[in-house]
Amino acid sequence: MKLLTHNLLSSHVRGVGPRGFPLRLQATEVRINPVEFNPDFVARMIPKVEWAALLEAAETVRTLPHARVHLPGEWGGGEWSHRQPRARGGTPGDDLGLCPQLHLVEVPKGPIEGYEHDEKFLRQMHHVLLEVDVLEGTLQCPESGRLFPISRGIPNMLLSDEETET
Amino acid sequence: MAATPPSPVGLTRRCPRTERGQGWRERAPGMVRGHGPVGVRCGCSRGVYAAPLSPLGWGTSDCSPGGVRPALSGLPSLVLGVSGCGFSQVYVTDVYRVPAVRQALRSGTSSRRQFSGLARPPNSIAMDSNSQSNYKLSKTEKKFLRKQIKARHTLLRHEGIETVSYATQSLVVANGGLGNGVSRNQLLPVLEKYGLVDALLMPPHKPYSFVRYRTAEEAKKAYVTLNGKEIVDDLGQKILLYLNFVEKAQWKELGLQALPPGLMVVEEIISSEDEKMLLESINWTEDIDNQNVQKYLKHRRVKHFGYEFHYENNNVDKDMPLPGGLPGICDSFLEKWLKEGFIKHKPDQLTVNQYEPGHGIPAHIDTHSAFEDEIVSLSLGSEIVMDFKHPDGVTVPVMLPRRSLLVMTGESRYLWTHGITPRKFDTVQASKGLQSGIITSDVGDLTLSKRGMRTSFTFRKVRQTPCNCSYPLVCDSQMKETPPSFPESAREASQLEQDYVHRVYEEIAEHFSSTRHTPWPRVVEFLKSLPCGSLVADVGCGNGKYLGVNKELYMIGCDRSQKLVDICRERCFQALVCDALAVPLCSGSCDACISIAVIHHFSTAERRVAALQELVRLLRPGGQALVYVWAMEQEYNKKKSKYLRENRISQGKEEGTSSDTAMPELLVEQVPNVGSRDSECCVSSVTDLPEGGHKARTVTNAKLPVHTNRTSFPSQDLLVPWHHQGNPGEGKPGHPAGAHDPGPVFHRYYHVFCEGELEATCQTLNSVSILQSYYDQGNWCVILQKV
Repeated sequence: MKLLTHNLLSSHVRGVGPRGFPLRLQATEVRINPVEFNPDFVARMIPKVEWAALLEAAETVRTLPHARVHLPGEWGGGEWSHRQPRARGGTPGDDLGLCPQLHLVEVPKGPIEGYEHDEKFLRQMHHVLLEVDVLEGTLQCPESGRLFPISRGIPNMLLSDEETET
Repeated sequence: MAATPPSPVGLTRRCPRTERGQGWRERAPGMVRGHGPVGVRCGCSRGVYAAPLSPLGWGTSDCSPGGVRPALSGLPSLVLGVSGCGFSQVYVTDVYRVPAVRQALRSGTSSRRQFSGLARPPNSIAMDSNSQSNYKLSKTEKKFLRKQIKARHTLLRHEGIETVSYATQSLVVANGGLGNGVSRNQLLPVLEKYGLVDALLMPPHKPYSFVRYRTAEEAKKAYVTLNGKEIVDDLGQKILLYLNFVEKAQWKELGLQALPPGLMVVEEIISSEDEKMLLESINWTEDIDNQNVQKYLKHRRVKHFGYEFHYENNNVDKDMPLPGGLPGICDSFLEKWLKEGFIKHKPDQLTVNQYEPGHGIPAHIDTHSAFEDEIVSLSLGSEIVMDFKHPDGVTVPVMLPRRSLLVMTGESRYLWTHGITPRKFDTVQASKGLQSGIITSDVGDLTLSKRGMRTSFTFRKVRQTPCNCSYPLVCDSQMKETPPSFPESAREASQLEQDYVHRVYEEIAEHFSSTRHTPWPRVVEFLKSLPCGSLVADVGCGNGKYLGVNKELYMIGCDRSQKLVDICRERCFQALVCDALAVPLCSGSCDACISIAVIHHFSTAERRVAALQELVRLLRPGGQALVYVWAMEQEYNKKKSKYLRENRISQGKEEGTSSDTAMPELLVEQVPNVGSRDSECCVSSVTDLPEGGHKARTVTNAKLPVHTNRTSFPSQDLLVPWHHQGNPGEGKPGHPAGAHDPGPVFHRYYHVFCEGELEATCQTLNSVSILQSYYDQGNWCVILQKV
């Protein structure tokens, strides 16, 4: 689950309404996925982002221990089971999108003036929104406390019959 | 002969005898050039028409595709036209019967001499076109000629075999086929007398064969000598052979066949002495039981041990075992077979069947609820060919030699029918003799085998619990389950959807995904029309077919099925598991939504509206939603939808189409009046809604009908079968790769929409305007906009 997706999610537990946003993210395993940088696309996303929620989610990822953040190139795609710690250090600003780990990157606190043309800003946002993938963790409804699991990158937001019955 | 062609004496275009002559073509490939329209030929044996005499005169030439060739046989012929009957040559038996000839003579434009020597008796001796013989044919000769022509005609019309009148290496032997009792070892020696036979091809069940000689000369000899010759068939009856030349032998070839899965034949499992002993051990004296049973069995004698098999319901009475159990002598065999691993379970029921030649047993599946998986049958006394048939229509004939054990398990026991055709001869493979295996379709190797008296010992284990096989449609245990009915409350609706939508998709996810790979063009069009950077929700995304269509969008897929969402994830799309009635996205967060083939899975009108309402909630003002649902009307504007058109019976090899690929099957139940097609019913399902709560139903506890795939829908609410395949692409050991096990059948609930229903439903929503409404390949579609 990407942080941009998290930014759009809201709890739909009965009776909660708009107080169900944002879902509190607890990530236990995260992967950094290189994604092709499309400045136009990122620029259009910026106005849609809820900054507070994004910062909160980014913070939980930032504070993850190193061992729980998988960097691109550690092993072949799609293997969740075995992790090998690897020497840190990547080249920032690489064209292939091999960005440094999240907790070395500054997440902008808000959109800056003229962000549409600020490549550094856009790249930072690109990394935060699209390249951070939460593999395991939970999402918690702020109002009801209901926990939704994230497993293999997929949040399961199914409510039981009692929770949805009107 | 006159130097200049005589004037045309008249062109008859119809056969005087049969009045046929339709489709008359004046130019045919290979037509004799320069002679213009010349003759009409007709399939009747006397057909000859007169033609304007050509400079070639009345010759013995014929036209066949490819040009004019001199006729070899010396049989007089007037060729040259091609009538609708399709005969390529015509024989004159009596040239003076030709009206035009008579006319020409009468008028003096031709002289008798022109005709003399032309009509020749078609006998086997006078092949020499130079010899002058009487043009009058004897009665027998005429009769023979008629029959030969008739044979050619029949071959052409019914079998598509085109004969030619010039000599070639190959001949078709009419009346000399496996289908009319002539076996290879009778025919071959007869043919070999005239030359070296390259091949004798005897297509099964056909009344003709093809023989190819090393040279055309040899074929000619055979033709001349054998035509009309009498031989004796296997039953001692006299048969007349009629030979004709062909360019090549032609018949329909069957595809490669494999034994039905789970089938095994173990040869020589007992010795001849044991066979004799077993046969002698049966006491066929008439007793009361036998008399009762005989009234059900036309063809054969039976005796039961262990449990009585009842032919009225094709089942056993588990609570009434027969005293004595299985005969003692069988015990030792059964123990041996168990130990050697030929069988896995000890049977407790034995049926002894005696088949005289000409006896058979109709194709059937042994009742699932009566017997366990393994059924074994020992063949004694004579070999036989047993036919196994798959519901798709594939038939596999299997040779069961004497003293062999047939073991049927799994699919061959539960799904394929087996039967023995009542006949006196079986078509078998000459080279394999009496070895077990499938009878090939190689017509170069087929011959007939006369049946003898065969006794079978069929051992089975009586079942104590209901059958739970993977073939529910042919399973009497599983078919007894009560079919679901139309839901009467929200809870029932939810339960119905759980059983007949969610559970099914979880089971079939992988197979389903493999048939859903082509995005529909108009959906793609919608997605591509959205601006870069749009946030789009795909509610009911399935295997993520549309999530990657436009890379400039940020698409989030949701689906109820974890397995399908897993597939989306594998393809690196953003997807989550949720219900379409409660999508966990913020209100107004989406620039657009799509919901393709989803809402028709909701079983009540309220739920369908709620699903649409949820889509609208997700949209920002001005955002658009595209909704596709299955249409009741699968034929619209007189055009059948792709779903109806693809009426292929697949053999398990699935080709991706955007709709179900499934085999047609029986309609299980027809329900009157549940959601009929008239528009009144459609409207009422919508206008009832503002009242909320339950709708008054005219039919209570109405059962949902099961739909026959690839036919039109009988009602709006129904169950549609999905025929689940095993792992696609994985071959099972011992099976050719690509051979699939037809697996269990799943039923999915659908409410198909009738014309205008989707629109009407959308109109009840708040703050929505309908931008477009159309029909696309069997679906009703709308594009909504949030105002």
